[in-house]
Amino acid sequence: MSLNVQNLYKQFGTKQILNGVDFEVKPHDIHAIVGVSGSGKSTILRIIAGLESTDSGDVKWNHRSLIHIPAHKRRVTMLSQTALLFPHLTVGENVTLVTRERSRKQAEHWLRVVQLGDRYDAEIHELSGGEQQRVSLARALAAEPELLLLDEPFTNLDPKLKLDLQRFIRDLVKELNLTAVLVTHDREEAMLMADQVTLIDEGKVTRTGTVAELYDTAPGFGDFVMLDGELRPLSEVEVSETTGVTVQLMKKIYRFGQCFGEYQFKDGRSVMLPTRESYQTGMIYRIKRKEE
Amino acid sequence: MLRSSVVVTIMVSLLPLTALVFLAIESTGTDWGSLLTDETWRDSFVTTLYVVSVSTGLSLVIGTWLARTVVQKGWRFLSSVLRLPMFVPHIAAAYLIWLLFSGTNGIGWIEANERNYVTVILTYIWKETPFVFLMMLGTYEQLNRGYVEMAKTLQLSPVDQFKHGELPFLMKPLLDSAWILIAFISFAYEVPALLGVTYPKLIGVLAYERLSTGLYLEATEPYAVALVWTCLVGIGVFLSYVLTASIRRRIERGVRR
Amino acid sequence: MIRQGLLICLTFIPFISLFFVVPTFEIENNMAIVHTIGLIVILSGINVWLSMMCAWWLLWTDSRWKHVIEWLVFLPLFIPMLATLFGLYLILAEAGLIGTYVGVTLALLVVTIPYSIRLAYNGMAVIGRPLLEQARILPSRRRVMYVLYPLFSRLMRTIALFTTVILLSQFALIQLIGAGLIPTVTTELYQSYAGNNRGLALSNTWMLILFPVLLYFLLSGWDRYMVRMLKGRLQ
Repeated sequence: MSLNVQNLYKQFGTKQILNGVDFEVKPHDIHAIVGVSGSGKSTILRIIAGLESTDSGDVKWNHRSLIHIPAHKRRVTMLSQTALLFPHLTVGENVTLVTRERSRKQAEHWLRVVQLGDRYDAEIHELSGGEQQRVSLARALAAEPELLLLDEPFTNLDPKLKLDLQRFIRDLVKELNLTAVLVTHDREEAMLMADQVTLIDEGKVTRTGTVAELYDTAPGFGDFVMLDGELRPLSEVEVSETTGVTVQLMKKIYRFGQCFGEYQFKDGRSVMLPTRESYQTGMIYRIKRKEE
Repeated sequence: MLRSSVVVTIMVSLLPLTALVFLAIESTGTDWGSLLTDETWRDSFVTTLYVVSVSTGLSLVIGTWLARTVVQKGWRFLSSVLRLPMFVPHIAAAYLIWLLFSGTNGIGWIEANERNYVTVILTYIWKETPFVFLMMLGTYEQLNRGYVEMAKTLQLSPVDQFKHGELPFLMKPLLDSAWILIAFISFAYEVPALLGVTYPKLIGVLAYERLSTGLYLEATEPYAVALVWTCLVGIGVFLSYVLTASIRRRIERGVRR
Repeated sequence: MIRQGLLICLTFIPFISLFFVVPTFEIENNMAIVHTIGLIVILSGINVWLSMMCAWWLLWTDSRWKHVIEWLVFLPLFIPMLATLFGLYLILAEAGLIGTYVGVTLALLVVTIPYSIRLAYNGMAVIGRPLLEQARILPSRRRVMYVLYPLFSRLMRTIALFTTVILLSQFALIQLIGAGLIPTVTTELYQSYAGNNRGLALSNTWMLILFPVLLYFLLSGWDRYMVRMLKGRLQ
């Protein structure tokens, strides 16, 4: 079941937001749309969800046009920047509401999936921001969507929580074999979560490709290093001369739980940078780009 | 200056409550048995309930729908036009409605004073819908559309989208508007006196006429009826707010979070 | 477009009745007009002042009595007007104010102030505290003239208009509290509605509608003039 976005144009007032946007999302992929604020990426998502109309162009899901189908019949659910849990309902009731038979059992299942199985009767205001987003995820999945849309759902979370949730959602989407479209301005986030990335600027697609393809050729997809269990941009890493280690970067593809790649010391020795699980405390590595 | 103004306002606001105390005092000596079995008062009560429920219900529905539509569509001109009837005094509005529907120059659908109180209801709808519209307009302007959009993407039906995405946030202003209208319409004089029939009169008209003629023997009855009616409205207000208090608190906390 | 047009037509339809018969424009009692204008000016002024002060206090002052006072000032909205009137009649009779201008003014203030506070409260809440806090850097006179007055002028106009409309709607109150000694336009006109002279009744209706309309244009013009003058002083 693939998603085809074909030649989308959209104008708000006198401002042209989308200028012929075209891309394809392969089945079971997480596809990221990356662009700065005002580039039109959220508008694309809203058109796919059925919350905005399009001036021209088409959105096809499994070769079927969605344009004339109302939002509540598209089998497309969305996670937003804020959880938007209905405040008059409890946590569990929010999820039960969207299950097919308004089933408490099904709702409890989805809450267990997001590790909040014991919070069915909790009030919304008792949950933290991250927990609310997880409930929102449970609710979105409980509606049995064919396509999941993620509209910068990690924006309002603190960095540690963001990383945990990104990993969690990525693993869950893969486990459930869903197709997902993620919209973000954060290239790191796209790199960490997506299989394919579309870069968008001023309503036009500038590049589409895998993370590895974009990393090699697209500007702004910088180097990263795992430090203290977090993936951080190279510019934040300090060099410690006392370690006496200089590492030359040779491969530049990063994934959660995977090895960074092979690196060669100046003296000819090679070393594998640790995975997140095998990280050694206190060791700082200087990473140089191949071109330097 | 601020505090002294607030003190003056409090003193003025205490007068209606003091008025109720005086009503209670003046009502002593009323033959309650005879009052409760009086056919005239009973028929008046039933007719008043009918007029109040139809007028209030329709004004609330139409006013809310108008506020919703105006905000969603961005119809600014219509928003200004819809407020106009608020600035026509009730008595003038009543006469205009009567002229419109009566014979000779009007449509000719009704008699001068119509026994089903249709002209009274129409007058109140024309006058009170803009009030409800204004009360709900502020709410709709501040409403987070995200909830309705979320409801759409969660595959909820249009009815459920309204029920869960809008209605919880309308609860307080709707309750306030409903009871303000009920209190206003139920015990009014000018409009039903002008447009109503000789029997049954609406309860406010009957009470005022019995009080003001000075010939009526049971002088305490109008005060007693006013007190009873106010207590009934008061109980309705109290119960509705108490019964919805927990859900309104939950909504407030959930939205703030 | 069609839906908007339909709604506009439905709103304006009752006004058609104003043109069914040619009004005769007879003015029988000049004192009624003088009393009415006097009451409009006094009540609008008091309502605007008290309601704006009270709404400000309720919205942006910290006090443990706030909830109680909020309930107290809004409670009269839920008390039927005629019931308040009957009780006020008893109170004012005790105080010897029946048949006096003061008694009528006080009674009208009691019935209008809850609506005024409500309007002021809702209007100020929409404007919001952050915007008003920005103005605190200015000295108080400048703050009032250059920020608060322009921001609140529309709200004050609405309160004045609303008060006028309620006042002009009151027949029973003025008859009972005024004991027939305080004639107003409404009490004079009410008799014409019961009679057969449509021309007279219509001209009276025109007068009742024109009062708020004239007030609206007067206040709008004044606001526009004041804002223009204040802007001129800023340059």
